[in-house]
Amino acid sequence: MMTNPAFAARTPVLELVAVHAGYGRIDVLHGVDLALHAGEVYALLGPNGAGKSTTLGVASGQIVPSSGGLMLCGRDVTGAAPDALARAGVCVVPEGRGIFPNLTVAENLRMATFTGMRYPDVSARAFTQFPRLRDRRRQMAGTLSGGEQQMLAMARALATDPAVLLVDELSMGLAPIVVDELYDHVRQIAAAGLSILIVEQFVHEILGIADVAGIMLHGRIEHTGSTTELADGLASAYLGGKH
Amino acid sequence: MDDVKPPARETMSPSRLAQFEAEVTKMRVSGGGANPERTAARVGIGLTVLGFVVAFISWWSAYNAGTFEDIHRAAIFALIGVGMALVGAIIWLRNSLTRYLRYWIIRLVYEQREQTDRLLERRDNGH
Repeated sequence: MMTNPAFAARTPVLELVAVHAGYGRIDVLHGVDLALHAGEVYALLGPNGAGKSTTLGVASGQIVPSSGGLMLCGRDVTGAAPDALARAGVCVVPEGRGIFPNLTVAENLRMATFTGMRYPDVSARAFTQFPRLRDRRRQMAGTLSGGEQQMLAMARALATDPAVLLVDELSMGLAPIVVDELYDHVRQIAAAGLSILIVEQFVHEILGIADVAGIMLHGRIEHTGSTTELADGLASAYLGGKH
Repeated sequence: MDDVKPPARETMSPSRLAQFEAEVTKMRVSGGGANPERTAARVGIGLTVLGFVVAFISWWSAYNAGTFEDIHRAAIFALIGVGMALVGAIIWLRNSLTRYLRYWIIRLVYEQREQTDRLLERRDNGH
């Protein structure tokens, strides 16, 4: 299939359209609209319980919306299995530690071969981007530091050559210096042209990385703009004031 | 706040974008519901109940039947009812087990994480 550059320029690679979703009978998202274009970094900001991770769950196919849709390159893929989305190129770096703690680093990376990639290619790519993991490849992943565990989760996602990367609260529970180091990696990945949707609580983490930011409150994206535009009003938005 | 702009960057390579589009195009979309296992489990229970009702009505018809032909007809319907109940029970069991096993594996992963955290905490505290 040929890509029409004009189509690619205006059609988002990933789009949520009026999404309502939740857990059981509890609705968390109340009509979320979000568009991520090719090569763009979109930061989804908001306080705890706003629905950011649920939005990421819908975008990755792990949560099927009760209404609304998930579109990839203009095609409605609502209800597609999360493994099918992952194979197509939508990869998630989950909140906290999205790794198998009782497997070694190498075994965790082997899990990324589900897309059909060979393990030597996966490990070569991972160790090039995160050289520290090479020294730890025989170590149990659960005994790595928090930052290294996040690196492993990112390495595993990036090793599959994703087209869209979904990153959930990279900074959670980590020291600021480690967070800075991780976001340096995100900056490099973004510079290579990958489309990234980042969920974060605080705007200063993604300043200088994200092209667009949205503030999510009570299951809706209330404000959209550049990170600098939104940064000043973020605190008041969190506290319930007018933006 | 300082005006911090994201650095200029490349866009996704056209070949990767084309490959992604192709993958998305050939993706099979089931259009599944928000909670497919729960829905299927309910359908299973419904089918089981309906099957028993059909079987009971068939038995009642056979009991009050005047001819052997009617009894044979009722027996066929009774078999269909029992078949429906059986299929419904299998659907319910399969989906209930899937829901339970999913919950169980998530719980196992969380317990393993907690266990690892406790071990690391003891190691770091020098115990």
